[in-house]
Amino acid sequence: MIQKRVTIENTSGLHARPAAHLVKIAGKFDSDIKILKDGLEVNGKSIMGVMMLAAEQGSELEFVVDGTDEQEAMDALVELVEKKFYED
Amino acid sequence: MNEFITVRTLLIENEARLKLKLICSENGLNRKITNNDLHRPGLALSGFVELFTSDRIQILGNTEIKYLNSLNEKELKQSLNRYMEFEIPAIIVSNDNPIPEYLVQTATKRYISILQTPFSTTQLTHLLGEYLEDKFAPQMSRHGSLVDVYGIGILLTGRSGIGKSEIALDLVERGHRLVADDLVIVRRKAEEILIGSGTEIAQHTLEIRGVGIIDVRRIFGIRGVRMQKRVELEVNLVDWSQGKEYERVGLEEQETDMLGVKIPLVELPIHPGKNITVIAETIAMNHLLKTYGYHAPKEFNKRLKDYMRQKDFIPIHKDLDYLKKDME
Repeated sequence: MIQKRVTIENTSGLHARPAAHLVKIAGKFDSDIKILKDGLEVNGKSIMGVMMLAAEQGSELEFVVDGTDEQEAMDALVELVEKKFYED
Repeated sequence: MNEFITVRTLLIENEARLKLKLICSENGLNRKITNNDLHRPGLALSGFVELFTSDRIQILGNTEIKYLNSLNEKELKQSLNRYMEFEIPAIIVSNDNPIPEYLVQTATKRYISILQTPFSTTQLTHLLGEYLEDKFAPQMSRHGSLVDVYGIGILLTGRSGIGKSEIALDLVERGHRLVADDLVIVRRKAEEILIGSGTEIAQHTLEIRGVGIIDVRRIFGIRGVRMQKRVELEVNLVDWSQGKEYERVGLEEQETDMLGVKIPLVELPIHPGKNITVIAETIAMNHLLKTYGYHAPKEFNKRLKDYMRQKDFIPIHKDLDYLKKDME
């Protein structure tokens, strides 16, 4: 199991489009993916869950990835967040 | 699409509706109409025959008849001889106007039918135009089932054996109406409307694997069927495959093109245990909501963005603290 904290940097936060992008990437991996924010934990492969985080610009998320392909999954997710979901 | 219809077909199919009377030339009824436009030959009668659209049905209204009657015999013969040289499919005289004797003579000689109607030129143009547009409407056939779900025409498509007919049957059982199964004829009307119907032989029968052909009209009665329906949505059923991406939010909408008309397309992955009938009903109602101006994914996203923009940002789950005191 690996963990990593990231900061959401795109202006409009984790709204529907970036959230959809995130679950699409998460869905490609076998590992369990959890996302935590302010004590709320959601499944990274569930679109409604990810949107319920309401992660605005500047907020911190914690990815918890567990499984055979955890490193690849984590790298892909972190890259997506760092690239600001290709939005800005 | 019909390449042509004969004047005879036009007469038979409109005799009652347009109160058409055949004045002359039984032989002329075999002429072909290849065009859904109508023409009023005022200028051609007066001698200007350049650009004369002689391949259209000719409508002689009050003006044309009055003009012909105003000519002396020599002028009349000259005008009509020039006019009738063209291969005209048929002539229709409106308002039950009296037809000049010489016109009937030349038409008989040239095997061109003259029909007469009591309707005014405006009414005639409207009614006949509508009929011809329907006859010459571009059409295609699609493999699928067309069902009217809450007034929305849903065309279910997908590979053979995926369960289109079973879903159609299930929808009928729940009070919706079957238009056609397996073979759907789609016609384009008025440039942007698609009308789907079944074939004359099929008549609301469908095939259920393992059972055979069943007659939906006989089993479910007249309330379970309808003859034609505007096609407003295509729901394409696909086999669920791991790793393939499906729409999750609904902000991106797909379209499909039929006869140059674009309609929304929903790609629906199916696997055992999924109730496609209820989903089909939901798709129909969601489409209705959208036509009424409410787009759920957009509204949801707006709410989410507004929420994130708030200064005193309260995480959603803490918002619900009061519920802890609610013991029910």
